[in-house]
Amino acid sequence: MGFIDLNNVSFKYKDNQFIIKDVSLKLLKEDFTGVIGPNGGGKTTLGKLMAGILKASKGDVFIDGLNSQDLKLGAIGKRVGYLFQNPERQIFAPTVEEDLTFSLRIKGIEKQQILIKAQEMMELFQLKHLANQFPFTLSQGEKQRLALAGTLINDPSFLILDEPTTGLDIERKKQLTNILKKLQKKGVGMVFISHDDDFINNLSTRIIQLIGGEIVADKRK
Amino acid sequence: MLIRENKIDPRTKLTAVILISSLAVLIKDIALLLGIFSITFIIALGFGNNPLALFKKLKKLALLFMAIIIIQSSFSSGIPLLRIGSITLLTIDGFTKGILLAIRMCIIIISATIISTSSPREIVQGLIQWKIPYEIAFMVSIGIRFLPLFVDEIKDTVNAIQLRGIELDKIPIGKRMKIYSYVLMPVVATTLMKSKRLSIAMESKGFGIYPRRSSFKRLKLSKVDYLLMAAFLVGAFTIVTVYLG
Repeated sequence: MGFIDLNNVSFKYKDNQFIIKDVSLKLLKEDFTGVIGPNGGGKTTLGKLMAGILKASKGDVFIDGLNSQDLKLGAIGKRVGYLFQNPERQIFAPTVEEDLTFSLRIKGIEKQQILIKAQEMMELFQLKHLANQFPFTLSQGEKQRLALAGTLINDPSFLILDEPTTGLDIERKKQLTNILKKLQKKGVGMVFISHDDDFINNLSTRIIQLIGGEIVADKRK
Repeated sequence: MLIRENKIDPRTKLTAVILISSLAVLIKDIALLLGIFSITFIIALGFGNNPLALFKKLKKLALLFMAIIIIQSSFSSGIPLLRIGSITLLTIDGFTKGILLAIRMCIIIISATIISTSSPREIVQGLIQWKIPYEIAFMVSIGIRFLPLFVDEIKDTVNAIQLRGIELDKIPIGKRMKIYSYVLMPVVATTLMKSKRLSIAMESKGFGIYPRRSSFKRLKLSKVDYLLMAAFLVGAFTIVTVYLG
């Protein structure tokens, strides 16, 4: 059994055609799974189904052994970190530091521990000099780093990253690759949806190709 | 070029919406308001809308309606309907006011759906042919188009917050209010940024450069439109006369 299992999953929006067609997958924490495919092929929809954001029209999605239909998003968020294609979707607070820490404060984690974690993340993603900045005026790359830091600060067991390299320069892409490799060593499973061939080839241990909502290739390196 | 000449003109629908919502605000008689509600329901059905589907969504507002009834009741004096000790929770007067407000809101929401059966482009054209300045008509159309996007934006933000491992239903109400401030922040910020981007895009395409604007598409009122508008006006006049008389 994988950490995320998709059993004969199909998905459509209301009365439209199926975007995902009878997909079955087992996603292991040991894998670095890359999802590739042309625009409009259903990659983001598949990612959202894996994360339980969308519920399957047919079939079942199991996250950590639990059916996603029965799980609230808050419960899923404790297990799975999801990075949206548009980082602005996951920026919430008036300062960079508060954006990183607010979820921990709401969960009732100790102040000292929150501060240490926030400093760690700001260091890791080079956001320290932006700690008191209004997040919406940051550059695209900075927003992407903040969204990633905000996802990782919750210590998820599994990560689903939708186009994580968008807006990152070559140096920062390398840094992100290193961070993700470190997380993998810690046992965090990962799926990334990307058009960035170099990034996918460099990191993936498994590559899934999705065209027209169907898996046309699923290879391990 | 005439657009959708075989269907009901958006100006006819706008006339209906303006009259119905004005009546809903003006009338304070429960029986008449229920009558207006039924007529609005039939008109919405006639224009190809399904208000029953809307009721499913309005179910979510049931709690709000209940709260309105209780708040109205708490601040109204009158014959008590429900008391706990010496505290009056509901009065007949307050209950009636609350019910009136709930019906009024339902009428306005259903009447607004009548106009949604026309495309934003048609509505703008209708307003322009009513001699409303193009800038204002365009603003109205942006508002109509923007509303569903705004709702999606709020839903996505709430989803994204929960994905940070926050279980909303397990959080005490005080803290939950704080979370809702985190929903508002990105929604307002992205709305402002979107409107700024839109205004730049519009200006770069020359919006508002010329004092007069010609229009390739034209709307033409048919006999049915004139008949319907006359019927709406007569109907509204009759209701007001009955109410005042």
